[in-house]
Amino acid sequence: MTDKSSVQSISETLRDIRKSIDLLNRKMDLLLKERRSTSKSPLANNDTKLRAEGETSKFYGFDVVTLLSLPDHLRKTAMTISHLREASAGDIANETHRARAAESDYLNQLVTMGYLKKRRRGRTAYFYIEE
Amino acid sequence: MGRAIAVHSYKGGTGKTVVSVNLAATYARKGKRVCLFDFDFRAPSLQIAFKSNPEYWLNDFFDGGIELRDTLVDVTSKFSMPSVFEVGLANPSSTATRQILTKDQKWEMKALQRLLTAKDELLDKRKIDYLIMDTSPGIAFSSLNAIVASDLVLLVSTLDESDLDGTQRMIRDTYTSLEKKPVVLVNKVLIEQLSSEARRKSLSKEVEATFGVPPLEMIPCYCDVLGTSRRSIITLDKPEHPLAKQMDRISERIALER
Repeated sequence: MTDKSSVQSISETLRDIRKSIDLLNRKMDLLLKERRSTSKSPLANNDTKLRAEGETSKFYGFDVVTLLSLPDHLRKTAMTISHLREASAGDIANETHRARAAESDYLNQLVTMGYLKKRRRGRTAYFYIEE
Repeated sequence: MGRAIAVHSYKGGTGKTVVSVNLAATYARKGKRVCLFDFDFRAPSLQIAFKSNPEYWLNDFFDGGIELRDTLVDVTSKFSMPSVFEVGLANPSSTATRQILTKDQKWEMKALQRLLTAKDELLDKRKIDYLIMDTSPGIAFSSLNAIVASDLVLLVSTLDESDLDGTQRMIRDTYTSLEKKPVVLVNKVLIEQLSSEARRKSLSKEVEATFGVPPLEMIPCYCDVLGTSRRSIITLDKPEHPLAKQMDRISERIALER
């Protein structure tokens, strides 16, 4: 290899390394930004407000393949709580138009399967997706 | 409010990408604000039609390192469009397509959340009228994510027996489970099968009996389109072509679908 082509090769390698470092820096900045915004989230502060005004729906806690593997009756409940993120059986029933008692049963099944957690506020049980 | 459309198929080779690209171009030509995503991370191809090699790909956005706006390529002036026309491309390198195979369910869950965030950013904040996602055929994580995130799924099928059978099963077992009712487009139909109104109606009824929904449109097999390079966008390069006129009709019918 000639001197000129060696220098060129080293230059290209250094350019690639520089590009990788820039990309890593940007990823770090973005990850730090995401972490800061998550810690300010009302949901992180156990706010009982289920959906902020103007907030469009998100989808938490389940990947699509897991959803497809669930029995039909549980899938509907899982998809609903994926959007709400934290809800009581009554909240879910309002969305699915199924009986509250049935949704309570399905939510408890999802807790047993490890997909959801449950906590009480007063007499009401709230089911949520853990981060 | 804008709409997200996932263009999907059971098998490859149904003409899904040609439909995606031409549908996006049709809307853009009509003055709509359009964003087109290459969601086929296993076999990217839109970089050919748009002759682009961007610094950042959609893969970088879904990995969590890059903001969406840094991955979008503005092709508005390139195609002399009256309004915004942007594309988000998938990385075609062998490294990138192999890396997709290594993604776990946790990553896919995060990817879905990022996609929904991207959809909000594009449709709500940036007032994009149509986000069109050209997906990977069959049951792939990225395709399922696109389907879940979409407001409408355009399912492209041919009349090949294996395609009909697989598409039928996919509608029954996957789409129904995800509570998505697709709009069906039948592509590459033999011209003889559409040679008269009676034959057209008969074929339409057969398709409806198979899929449970009538076809939105049945597109004949255009040999000249098959032989055209991927670099060509028919609705822009040959606006008088019958396919361009059909894409026009399809775009109007989709706009009416709710």
